[in-house]
Amino acid sequence: MMKFVRAHAELWAALVTAAVLPVFLSSASLAAEVLIFAMAAAGCTLLLNYAGLMSFGQGIFFGIGSYVLGYLSVNSGWPLGWLLLAVVLGGILAAAVVGWICIRQTGIYFVLLTLALAEMIFFLAESATGITGGDNGLLGVPMLPLNIGGWPLFANKTPWGYYTFVAAVFIVVFAFLGLVVKSYFGRTLIAMRENPDRLAAVGYNTKSLKMLAFMISGAITAVAGALYAMMTGIAPLESINLDRSEIILVVSIIGGGGNIIGAILGALFYVLLSNWLSEIWPRWLMLFGFLLMLISLYFQGGLWGALQTLGRKVGLWRPSGDTRCKTD
Amino acid sequence: MIYFMLAAGLSIVFGLLRFVNFAHGAFYMLGAYFAYWIVEHSHNFWIALFVAPLIVALLAWVAERFVLRHMYKLEHGFHILFTLGLAWVLQELVISAWGPVGFNMPIPNGLQGVFILGDIIVPVYRLFIIGFGIVVAIALWLLLERTRLGNVIRAGSERPDVVMLLRINVYRYFGIAFALGAGVAALAGALVAPIRGVEPFMQWEALLVAFVVVVVGGLGSFSGALVGGILIGVVQSLMSAIWPVAANVTIYVAMLVVLLLRPNGIMGRAQ
Repeated sequence: MMKFVRAHAELWAALVTAAVLPVFLSSASLAAEVLIFAMAAAGCTLLLNYAGLMSFGQGIFFGIGSYVLGYLSVNSGWPLGWLLLAVVLGGILAAAVVGWICIRQTGIYFVLLTLALAEMIFFLAESATGITGGDNGLLGVPMLPLNIGGWPLFANKTPWGYYTFVAAVFIVVFAFLGLVVKSYFGRTLIAMRENPDRLAAVGYNTKSLKMLAFMISGAITAVAGALYAMMTGIAPLESINLDRSEIILVVSIIGGGGNIIGAILGALFYVLLSNWLSEIWPRWLMLFGFLLMLISLYFQGGLWGALQTLGRKVGLWRPSGDTRCKTD
Repeated sequence: MIYFMLAAGLSIVFGLLRFVNFAHGAFYMLGAYFAYWIVEHSHNFWIALFVAPLIVALLAWVAERFVLRHMYKLEHGFHILFTLGLAWVLQELVISAWGPVGFNMPIPNGLQGVFILGDIIVPVYRLFIIGFGIVVAIALWLLLERTRLGNVIRAGSERPDVVMLLRINVYRYFGIAFALGAGVAALAGALVAPIRGVEPFMQWEALLVAFVVVVVGGLGSFSGALVGGILIGVVQSLMSAIWPVAANVTIYVAMLVVLLLRPNGIMGRAQ
């Protein structure tokens, strides 16, 4: 049993999270937001902790997902299944372009390139008012039902109904990511993070490995962006700006732990705390600033890493592997 | 020239200390805010121009001395995260102190008005910034290339252990270099405040522009910061005259073109 749980840890973590959140949260949209950010952060974690790429461009994919869904749902009349497929393809395409440019550089240049691309695409989205609505964003994104063979699988009529749909996507995404990181490809990514030169010498094409990681990450982040747009009924310019990229990266890092599950923890922490704090203290971002400084100084494994350390001290379980994230 | 000063500070810190500073824009913002505050109280722009960068440099020195110094051995990723956190904290502190709304700052007496040269009308203050920037560039170059301080900092960035063996405390000099970088950024902020005003979110555009300039010019290269700053500045002003909508995008396109043609930047040394 324990072995089975461990072998599919990502799936189980996602199932438990999706099932437990409604018990503790009274707001369906807040619960859905947690899951959405967990997905976006997981896409970032794949790049950061597995491929060793610190991307400040995740907002690009989030925004593209929002806009693809927003634009097509308003203008095309396609059913949701096709829309999601278009979102995934859009994310992959965007990631291919961004990846193609960025992976030519390594280290700090790579980070700066993702940052610059994020800002550039933000300005593009701002000026392309015909498609994105510019400053106002795309308004009136409808909540669509997901029908399979004419039978409504998810009606998406109520907030909690929408939550179940988001939860289903969330579980699928995490199960998929769990498979990815345990696959041959996932192991190779870790090897590349640890020693790219050696991997290249052994005969792997590190560029195509990075591209593939980028595309998976882009697709997942785009799905998160699309779900977010549908939830709020708007694809705003904020979805694609630099703040969004920073937040996704920070959620991924706060969660930490060098694995995908950390992203859930980071999203729980970020969404709930910022939601709660923003009501009582408008300067809550300061707290996250301090937290980020603390993490980079002392808890380099993030929250999950800190929990593991605690667990090890208490003797609950013995985690395997290195939990620190590597970026260079 | 503002772009040059922004980038020069960043380039000093990265090139010499191998430290990536995402709080660089925050120092620029602080410089602008302190300058605004001093002008409000003393009505003297020159004091502000002198004192504001000094305060910021001092703050940066303290930050380096007590925290950042312990981080050099970490990976670049953690430098980025830490300074990003620092930038957020400084931004929120500024909002707490001055509020989220920006202010305008008057152009100092004696530098108002325009300078008419044939058909071209140039505000005197902009000419002043250009002149001031040239002075700063020369001063920085002399400081880094022609003084003992500059020698030690440059040597220390290449081989800190060897310099330590010469009984020189490299880290003390690194602190000075970091403060210098922050001070130059603050100077840029103080200079630009009368043109663009001050507001809490001004740091991000400055940070990004600084990164673009530094990447275009070549990371860690002082002359690269100068060339890149001028290039990006010219490209942006030309584009805002020809096609304003695309002006913001163009500098990033320029950066991509440069990076794809010359991966280490125009004046960059090979990694």
